Order: sequence, then structure tokens, then C-alpha cells
Amino acid sequence: MIEVRELTKTYGTTPAVDGLTFTVKPGSVTGFLGPNGAGKSTTMRVLLGLAAPTSGEALVDSRRYVELRRPMCDVGALLDANAVHGGRTALNHLRCLARTNRIGASRVTTVLEQVGLAGVARKRVGGFSLGMKQRLGIAAALLGDPGVLLFDEPVNGLDPDGVRWIRELMRSLAAEGRTVLISSHLMSEMELTADRLVIIGRGRLIADTSVQELADRFRRGVLVRSPRAEELTGVLESAGATVAADPSGGLSVSGLEVAAIGDLAAARGIPVHEVTPRSASLEEAYMELTADSVEYAATMPGVSR
Amino acid sequence: MIDVLAAEWWKLKTVRSTGWILAIVAGCVGLACLLAWYAVVTWDGLSAERRGEFGLAPLPAITVELTSMCLAVLGVLAVTSEYSSGLIRTTLTVVPKRRSVLFAKACVVTVVAFLIGLVAVCATSLVGRLIIDGRPIRGQWSTTFSEELPLLLAMSLVVTVFALVGLGLGTLMRSAAGAIATVVALWYVVPMIAVNLPAPWNARIGSLMLGSLAGQLAGTGNDNSVYGAELSPLGALSVMLGYVVLALGAGAIRLSRKDV
Repeated sequence: MIEVRELTKTYGTTPAVDGLTFTVKPGSVTGFLGPNGAGKSTTMRVLLGLAAPTSGEALVDSRRYVELRRPMCDVGALLDANAVHGGRTALNHLRCLARTNRIGASRVTTVLEQVGLAGVARKRVGGFSLGMKQRLGIAAALLGDPGVLLFDEPVNGLDPDGVRWIRELMRSLAAEGRTVLISSHLMSEMELTADRLVIIGRGRLIADTSVQELADRFRRGVLVRSPRAEELTGVLESAGATVAADPSGGLSVSGLEVAAIGDLAAARGIPVHEVTPRSASLEEAYMELTADSVEYAATMPGVSR
Repeated sequence: MIDVLAAEWWKLKTVRSTGWILAIVAGCVGLACLLAWYAVVTWDGLSAERRGEFGLAPLPAITVELTSMCLAVLGVLAVTSEYSSGLIRTTLTVVPKRRSVLFAKACVVTVVAFLIGLVAVCATSLVGRLIIDGRPIRGQWSTTFSEELPLLLAMSLVVTVFALVGLGLGTLMRSAAGAIATVVALWYVVPMIAVNLPAPWNARIGSLMLGSLAGQLAGTGNDNSVYGAELSPLGALSVMLGYVVLALGAGAIRLSRKDV
């Protein structure tokens, strides 16, 4: 469980994070989304005690991170896969980390196998590709078998196989009841991985919602095609729907669900050739939400209504 | 705390720079021995009256100067390599008590620097004595090894202080270039300025230089050097501690107060 409350972090006079509040619950993968510079990494650094908040707080399992006695066993984090000493081998890198939290050498071997790096355990990290370093970083995060996992842009630099591997790993970690927070600036990736979304822009919360709710919110009516379009328009409008001509030639209907449209048409014996619910892609929804984050933050602090 | 110590020891052991620094220290000892051999060959070829004009600086004093610089760099790199790679964030994530991290690094650096310093000066003394083989060359040993041992121990302490000052400056500056430049200034530039000050300030300031402290601590003085020798052994020890407390204290404050 991660709780961020009224968190503000200011660098000089520029707020990187501005009164941010959200909660990440266990058992699901939460995507932490925002354009570059939105404050995702800053929030994660404050969560991990690396940066001190200007005001507000960020708690892990109701405690401040610095109060954790063996933090690796509570929280696993991958902030920057390149942040390793290139001269050390993968095995030694993990051993150094494991030792600080009294984690045994056998666990190091286990996580190296889990991320698929067992074969290069004795190779220097400096020769690793970014994808291998991401795997090493994930291995480090998993060392203490923690209940909370934070990953900052974990799919960067991974090939399609690696991306799928991460996706499945994240989902399985969440299915085990862990709290998983993944930051990303790619909605397309989060759409496939995350159950919930925390979207921020310019340091403020734009949306704290589920993927499904976001899709519903950006539903864009129903496309209906019928050879008796004019007659159907009248029927639908009298049932309370708004009907407009769609550029593609059909009717764009809003205010009625697909089933209701079909039933109304059937009742009047009007043939219908197509009834398709349409929604903006999550990518479009995300772009729209973050297009002017300040305006959205001011008028609608949460999307779920 | 034991766990953090063990991890820091493992960290220092598993980077190549540590091995390189050890190799350079060994090279410095070799260089001092080569110098001894050169002195012997030259001295043997001189006539009796010219032998009196021939002198060579004490060999352990040469070794300790070079070893001090090497270990100061080791101290600097023990922390700045974490900043340059970004590993420091991982380190402070797995050990959120930041002062524990610095304390553990300081302990490891202390042990390593003292032992390497001791081995280097003792090896220089033992091998050097074998090469000089009792020749009364000016500047060379008039004492036995066991009589020289307090000075050698004091020299190892100076090496340790240099390494800890390097660690403290590295923590303070978070940059290898900045910290090494500062250490070099302390090691060479400041003593050169001090020796050119008008008397009595040259001797007074010269007695505070890090390199001057071994001779003062062992009570052998600093003849034929740029350093002064106006401190008592206790005074020299206090100045040593002062360097360590100042450098590590400043580093600790920056480490615990600033974001990484």
C-alpha cells in the first residue's frame, strides 16, 4: 500500500510535485502516467526517502520509508537501470545489495534465474545492454521479496520479448497480492499492463481511475447504419438520443446504449446494418487529459464520478 | 551495522580501481627500492671524500608520499563512483540511514588504508635496508627496523588520514575530479605555499601539513623537508583527528541533508 498525501516538492521556485494525493492498493498493477517532467520520478524519489518533501508526505505501508528497518524486504524499487557500477559483475552487484539487508546468497541466485541473467551472472555489468540492465534492476528490486514494488519506466530499452516478459511479471506480482506501481509516459504500454491509472501532469493529479472507467469516460457514442436512416433518426431522437450524421455515412448516436438502439429499431421494424459502440483510444484519452494539465487539474481533480 | 560494513567491504573489493591502486602502491615501493639500488651503485663508485656530499631522502618517506596520494584517490572513489554511476540512489534506498553508509565506508577505508600503508612503508624499509646493506649514505638508516617502527606506524596513520580526507571530500563534493584536485592541493600545493611563507609562519603552517604529521607524531622531526615540526606527538595526533573530523563531518552533513 502506497499513500501519497498532499505531497509538494519544490526545486527553487518550480514545483515538481504540487499537492499530489493518491493511493496505490495491493493486488493490482497501477500505472503512474504523465508526460516527461510531470513529476513521476520526483514522487518516486520522495517515496524512497531519496528526496525530502517540501510539504506533505509519502508513506509505504503507513510508514515513512526511512523508518523501515530492512527496506528491501518491504519495498523493491528500480529507478534507473543504468545506475550500476560497470566494473562489478551482476552477481557481485546483487550480493552487495543483498548483504545490506541480510539477504542470503541463495536468494541472489534465485532472482538471477528469475530474470534470466543466470548465464551472465559473472560478467561485468558494463558490457550489458540496456535490456539486460533493466533485468538486473528488476532482480535487485525482487531480492527482498517485497510487498511493494516501484518501477520507473521499466520497459525502456527492452525488446518485444522483454516487454512481454515484464508485462507478465508485473501482472503475476500483483496477482500474488503485491502493490505494483509502474511509471511510464506510454499509455499504450500501460493499457496492456495496468489495472488502475494514476495520471499526473505538471506535478498535479489529473486522474486516479481504473483503465475501464477511463475507457467508459471517453466513449464517443454509437455508430449506426441503416437503409432507413431518416426514420431511425426520428425514432432515436424521440427516445432522447442525440443523433448526428457521421462523416463515414452512418449515424453517430449518443445518449443511448447499443442494446436500446437495437431494441428500438426492432420494435419499429427498421433494418439495421451496423451498431458499433465507439470510444476514443486510451492513448487519445490520455493525450486529451494531459494536453493542458493545469486546466484539467483545476476543473476536475478526479475522473471517476 | 555489520551488514552495511560487510556490503561496503564487498563493494570496495569488487571494483577494478581498488586493484589498480594496489598495483600502483606496489609500483611505488618498487620505485623506492630502485632508487636505493641506484644510490648504492652511485655511492660505491664515488671516492671517499665525495661520498660525504652524496645523500638520498629516507626511502619510507618517499613511499609514504606516493601511497598517501593513491589511498586518498581510493577514498575519493569509494564514494564518488557511486555518484557518477547513480548507484548512490540504490545504496541509499537499501540503507536509508545515510550516516551508516558513510560510517561503514569510513571503517572499510580506514582498515584498507592503514594496512596498505603499513605494508608499503615496512616493505620499503625492509627491502631498502637489504639493498643499502649498512652503507653510511647520508639520509639513510641510522636506526634498526624496530627503532624505526613507531615512525612507520605514524606514516601508516597519515596514509589513513589522507584516505579518509579523500572520502570526506568525495562525499562533500560528489565529484571525483573536484575531490581529487582538492586532495592534490592538500598533498602538494599547500605545503609548497607554506614553505615559502616568511618565518616563523613557514614552520608553523608547515607543521600543520598532513605530510608533516608522521614525523611529529613519532617524534623524529622533519629534517630536510618542506615541513615544519613544531607540534608535540599529542598535538600532531590532534591535528590528524581534526582533518578527519572536518572532512568526514562536512561530508556527513551534505549527505544527510541533501537530496540525491
